[in-house]
Amino acid sequence: MRMLSCEEVLANLSNYFDDECSAELRAQLEDHISKCRRCRVVFDSTGKMLKILVDVEPFEVPLAVSARLYSRLQEVLSEE
Amino acid sequence: MPEAAHERKPDAAEEDLRLIERVLSGDRQAFGALVRSHERRVFRVTLAVLGQVEDAEDAMQETFIKAYRHLSQFRRESRFTTWLTRIAVNEALQKRQARKEHVSLDESPAIQNQDFPRRFEPWAADPEKLYTKQELRDLVEKAICSLSGIYREALILCDVEGMSAKEAADVLEVNLLALKSRLLRARLMMREALCTSLEQRRPFGRKVFDTAADVKSMMGMMLMRVAGR
Repeated sequence: MRMLSCEEVLANLSNYFDDECSAELRAQLEDHISKCRRCRVVFDSTGKMLKILVDVEPFEVPLAVSARLYSRLQEVLSEE
Repeated sequence: MPEAAHERKPDAAEEDLRLIERVLSGDRQAFGALVRSHERRVFRVTLAVLGQVEDAEDAMQETFIKAYRHLSQFRRESRFTTWLTRIAVNEALQKRQARKEHVSLDESPAIQNQDFPRRFEPWAADPEKLYTKQELRDLVEKAICSLSGIYREALILCDVEGMSAKEAADVLEVNLLALKSRLLRARLMMREALCTSLEQRRPFGRKVFDTAADVKSMMGMMLMRVAGR
């Protein structure tokens, strides 16, 4: 199996996490990651980052913004 | 894979359909319930495109008004969330065009030197255990806000809202390759930004070592220090 370069591994980071790579490419990526500390850190932290992005549910609607939305909708809906 | 975590509860889509039926048969209260269940997503999407709360608020209001007026045109081939997100992105994009904002298009499909990772400290085994959800949310929001528009919107649509690259490319009206390239760069920039803030904010004395090698080398350094070398 040909060893991928770090650049090739990085270029395929999204394909790896979005499950858009062939079994062969996945095996090559995992082989590289197991041998290259830097790429291992990048992949590991990217995976953690993607989980955090979902878990923290960023950007709540501010209460005032929400209140104005409901009052505007009430106006519009009662006119229709 | 991140996909599974994005999914709303399995019956949420069915609940949407039930509410839509009720709205279409004249029950306006049911629209309120639809809004409550989707306002956060719509706000996040309009904020991602526009980058300012005031503009995002306007676009959010227009999105729901439009959704109400055109609800009968909703075809059940797609999920209601996808349909609504499409309206929200359209409203936000129109507003951005009206602002005549210069949207940076200095993108090239390949990753550039500046995209290459610079931080290689291993992250804690579970960073979510080191912070409260609110603390981590603050860090994430700050990092997202540091991205420019085209990266921010790709990241929010795909990695927060769980759209596929194709769906996101579709609603943003960019080609799939451009979207994928933006998403890759957004993820790399986001990782880098979070490395910095996680490192700065990591509580003193709670630094977690991920690999035995790191612990070993740190122990070695400490022993050398103790030995006065």
